[in-house]
Amino acid sequence: MLDLILKAFAYSGGIALTAAGITLIYMATRTFNFAHASMVGWGFYIVFAGYSLLGGTPYYYVPLAALFSGLLGILIYFGVNRYLLKAGASPITLMMSTLGADLILLACINIFTDYLTEEYKLNARYFVLELRDISLGMADSVNIRAIPFISSAVVVLTIVGLHLFLKKTKFGIAVRATIENTPLATVLGINPEKVYVLSWFLGGALAGLGGGLLSLTISGYPTVGMTIIVTMFAGSIVGGLSSVFGSLFGGFLVGLSEYLGITGLSLAFGGWILAYRLIIPLAAMVLTLLLYPQGLAGIKIEKFMLKPLRIKSQSKEVKKYGV
Amino acid sequence: MVFEIHPLILNILVNFAIGLIITVSLNLEVGIAGISQFGRVLAVITGAIVAAAIPGRLLASLIGLPAGVEYADHIINFKIVDQINRILAVNVSLSVGILFFTLILAALLGSFIGYICSYPAIRLKEAYLGITLLAFGDVVNTIAWNVDPIAGGTQGVNVPDVFRWIGVGPERYLGVALILIGFGLVVFIFVERLIRSPFGRALKAMRDSEVAAKVYGKDIVRLRAQALMVGGALAAIGGALWAFYTGSFKAVTYTRLTWTFWPWAYMMLGGIGNNLGMLVGVFVFSVIRTLIYAYKTELTAFIPISPQWFEYILVGLAIIILVLFRPQGLFPEKPALTLPRDEVEKIRQRIKKE
Repeated sequence: MLDLILKAFAYSGGIALTAAGITLIYMATRTFNFAHASMVGWGFYIVFAGYSLLGGTPYYYVPLAALFSGLLGILIYFGVNRYLLKAGASPITLMMSTLGADLILLACINIFTDYLTEEYKLNARYFVLELRDISLGMADSVNIRAIPFISSAVVVLTIVGLHLFLKKTKFGIAVRATIENTPLATVLGINPEKVYVLSWFLGGALAGLGGGLLSLTISGYPTVGMTIIVTMFAGSIVGGLSSVFGSLFGGFLVGLSEYLGITGLSLAFGGWILAYRLIIPLAAMVLTLLLYPQGLAGIKIEKFMLKPLRIKSQSKEVKKYGV
Repeated sequence: MVFEIHPLILNILVNFAIGLIITVSLNLEVGIAGISQFGRVLAVITGAIVAAAIPGRLLASLIGLPAGVEYADHIINFKIVDQINRILAVNVSLSVGILFFTLILAALLGSFIGYICSYPAIRLKEAYLGITLLAFGDVVNTIAWNVDPIAGGTQGVNVPDVFRWIGVGPERYLGVALILIGFGLVVFIFVERLIRSPFGRALKAMRDSEVAAKVYGKDIVRLRAQALMVGGALAAIGGALWAFYTGSFKAVTYTRLTWTFWPWAYMMLGGIGNNLGMLVGVFVFSVIRTLIYAYKTELTAFIPISPQWFEYILVGLAIIILVLFRPQGLFPEKPALTLPRDEVEKIRQRIKKE
């Protein structure tokens, strides 16, 4: 049971990060990023290649994975997205363009896999890094590994870091302003291009980070991103697609319910149900979309607050930044 | 003995025919009705499941072989299908009857799937709808992959060969290719006529401006449902034909990549909304894809990467280049011209007389 809960936490942490990446890119550029699948896949493979070729622990290469996927994000922005945003393309066109990018990145992962297999005789088509994780000791004959704690810690750090960045720094405020109302932000001298680049970089970095951490929880193969992208989208949509924190929460919730839910069901109905684990996040996503299109983060808490309180809190912020 | 045609050309023809059916159905929903259908695989796999599960069982029960759950067991299945094929080989009318019966059933189920899809389609917009339909497709794929009694699950099942009466040698491939091309063209002409009908014009009006269409008394909810039903039925026919052609069904081959994203690329190349463009888009891609597969070994000598990944890069690049430089496709949709005034007058006179 302990083992199960720890694994669920490790998995959900990774999903939460990737879902946050999708939301960040969507909020800034209105692009549903299909290429997230391959960015996460690259996260898996950077960690695997680094660990297999250079040694150490897999954790050394997680930041590298984040950096690499972040650069991929910038590449997609400058290669495709920038032009389309300027041309004012429709959301469907934007989505299709990232699909094209995803196909190319997927091919690159496969080529890299072939390279690793032929050049270094690694078993790169299917790998399990879980056993290479640091062991923290035994409890109730369960080998406690570091990944659940690290994964949860990274999620918390991301929340704190993003919060500080978005609320306390000048550039963070510029980001929020651009997302809220791009023309108005432009009038005030904010360069939206910078915001777009940054959100693609951060979104990609979150994908790489999530992928790198997930590689220590689930087995890796070239199309792993395509398999779990549905869960990532589900987390992002359950979180409401309008708040990074909402999707971190949504991703965590979806990951947790998928992992624990399917295990619970398998205990009740038997092991055959394990094959349908994908249906849990899908159902969560479809139900959220149909019943509550704004997602969980769309629930307006302010609506339930007293009016004077709301005005007060707003005026405080106005004073602070002297707008 | 029929004269022989290079198998490569036949391969291209078959891929073209099936691709045409799927892409035309996709174009009807995306290009004409403006519904972001990212779950094309859903209807395709439904059609394929019908072809895999129904005709074999029907014939097996007719000749007294096991037709229940045990039919889908892959060890028994291939023996049953082998016996069925022997009967079908000598009985032309039965083969053709089974073929059409299955296609009609597939179309009915496909339109039912389309009807289900209309539930989210009238509530959600663009990308959200796309993701939802994509999710639906994955669910059905997971079910087909894991529920053995329907169509063999991971092992798959063999599909009765309704083309066995043509022969077993090269003449079979020629015959099948011609039959499939025939089906492809029929579907193409059907959709072409449909687009030019009042129904098609209503769909276009809905796509261009929902509010304006509503003002003129068009029922948006109903139109969307109808478009999805017709599209679903056609795609299911395509899926069933593909299952008949390959002679086997395996859920794992019906991925969203092959049956949703590839047709999207075909459609974008041809020009979204232009039915004639589909012919070109599908043809170009079928030729390229078939050639890449056919000359796999020769290609590896030139490029150091596996041809399969080369194909991915090619399709990905094609999508990106199209989106960036020619979003309207090779053959953009042209505004449908109305008849000249005097022609309209003539028709009016004729109607009056009648």
